[in-house]
Amino acid sequence: MSSLKLKTTILDRSISKGKNEVSLNGFALLFSEIVQYCQNRVSTVPELQAKLSEFGQQVGIRMLDLLIVREKNGKREIKLLQILIFIKSTVWKSLFGKEADKLEHANDDDHTYYLIEKESLVNRFISVPKDKGNLNCAAFSAGIIEGILNTSNFPAKVTAHWHKGTTYMIKFDESVIVRDKQLEGR
Amino acid sequence: MARPGARVADSKKINSELFTLTYGALVSQLLKDYENAEDVNRQLDRMGYNIGVRIIEDFLARTSTARCTDMRDTAEKIQSAFKMYLGVNPTVTSWSPASDEFSLLFDQNPMTEFVELPDSCLSLKYCNLFCGIIRGACEMVQLEVTSWFVQDSLKGDPTTELRVKFVKKLEDAMPAGED
Amino acid sequence: MTIHNLYMFDRHGVLMYYGEWNRKRQSGMTIEEEAKLMYGMLYSIKNFVNKMSPVDVREGFQCYRTSKYALNYFETPSGVKFVMNTDLHSQGVRELLQQINSQIYIEYCVKNPAYKSGETIQCELFKTKLDELVKQSPIFKS
Repeated sequence: MSSLKLKTTILDRSISKGKNEVSLNGFALLFSEIVQYCQNRVSTVPELQAKLSEFGQQVGIRMLDLLIVREKNGKREIKLLQILIFIKSTVWKSLFGKEADKLEHANDDDHTYYLIEKESLVNRFISVPKDKGNLNCAAFSAGIIEGILNTSNFPAKVTAHWHKGTTYMIKFDESVIVRDKQLEGR
Repeated sequence: MARPGARVADSKKINSELFTLTYGALVSQLLKDYENAEDVNRQLDRMGYNIGVRIIEDFLARTSTARCTDMRDTAEKIQSAFKMYLGVNPTVTSWSPASDEFSLLFDQNPMTEFVELPDSCLSLKYCNLFCGIIRGACEMVQLEVTSWFVQDSLKGDPTTELRVKFVKKLEDAMPAGED
Repeated sequence: MTIHNLYMFDRHGVLMYYGEWNRKRQSGMTIEEEAKLMYGMLYSIKNFVNKMSPVDVREGFQCYRTSKYALNYFETPSGVKFVMNTDLHSQGVRELLQQINSQIYIEYCVKNPAYKSGETIQCELFKTKLDELVKQSPIFKS
C-alpha cells in the first residue's frame, strides 16, 4: 500500500547545522535502554560489546557523511594521520562536545594507534569495574570510530579498554599501512 | 548543603545529532530483529516505558515538582519535560469535554531529523518511544494513562499529533503481608 | 551532630539500600527484618498523618523525635523513600536526603544501565559517592 499524501523528503530540507542540543540525561537513559536491550539478546560480555559496537558503527557511518558535507566541503581524508586527527577533533567535538584527549602511536607496532579520553560520555554513570572482565560501554564509541574508518576505506578493528580513563585501541589492516607509506612524500 | 537555586534546569546538554542517530540505529536494529513493524512498535513502547520510569525521577528532582492535581497540570508538566529533554515545545490542544484527554502537537522533533520512511514501513510508528515514556513516567506518580499517535508527519500528515488519555489514579503500594 | 544510618526503599517498599555510619546500638534483628518493620511503620504513620491532618496536607509525614535521636523522612512524588536517623541537633537533613536522591541515586542508579529497578543497589560508584557526600556534610562532621 502506498501513501497518496505528499511526503516531504529529507532532500527538501536544508542540512542540519548541528547546533541543536538535547539533554544529556535523556541520551543517557536511551543509551541505557539500548544496553539492556542488547543484554537480553546475548549471553556474554564480549557479545554484548560487539552489539554495542554495531550500534556505534551505524552512528559513525552516518556522522561521517554529515561531517564531510558540513565541515569538510565534501572532501574526504585520505591520509592515515589526517583521518585520525579528524576523528579526534572534528568527530569528537561534534558528538561529545569536546576533542578526545590524546592520540598516540604504539611503540612496538606501527599498525596500532591509541585514542584516549579521560571521561567517556557513555561510561559516566557506570562504575569502573575492578576486574577487566566487566562490561565497557565505550564499545559503542569504539564502534563509531570503526564505522568511520571502515567507510573511509581505512579498514581497522577498534576496541575500548579501561586504561587512563578510556583508551580506544585502533588496529589498522596491513593494506592501510602499506598504502599510507606509498602516499608519503607526495 | 543545598545552595538556594542550586538545582538548575538541566545544564548538561549534548549535540542532538548523537541522540538522533543513536535512536535511528536502535529503530533500524529493531526492524532487523523483528521484521514486523507492529512488533517494533510494541518494543519501542516497552523501551519507552522503561525510560519513562527512570526519567521521571530526574524530572522530579530537577523541577522539585509535586504530584499533579489534574490532567491540565499533567499536560503542562509533560510539555515542559519535552522542552527539558528534547528542546522542543509541543503545543497542548484538543482537550476532551471532560478534560481527561488532550493532544500534543509537534511542529519540530529532533528524533526524526534525517529520517524518511520507506513505503515498506508505513505501519511503523517511528516515535512510539514517546508513548511508552509518557505511560511509564505517569505511572510512577500514580497516574494511569494511555497514549497513541493520531498523526505523523513522517507519513505525510501535516503535523505530528500525540494523544494522551487519563485512565485512573493508582494507589500507593501496601507493605508486604498487610493486604 | 551525627548521622546514624540510612534506609532507602523503592515505591513497592523493597529495601534498595542500607548504610550506617555512626550507629551505636544494634536492634538484634537482621537488616531485612528491620526494613520490614520500618516500612510498615512508615506506611501506617503516613496514612495516619494524612487522615488526621486538621489542615490541607502538603508534604505529610517528615520526621519523629525521641529524647535521643530523630528519624528524618523524605519521599519523592514517585515513591522512592529515604529514611535517615540522626541525633537531635542535626539540621538540614531533609536537604541532605534530597541531595542523596538527585546527586547520587539518580546519577549512579537511575542513569546506570547496569542497575535494574527493584534490585538491591550493588553499584560501587553509588556507595563511594554516597559515603563521600554523607561524610562531607556538616551534619556528619561536627
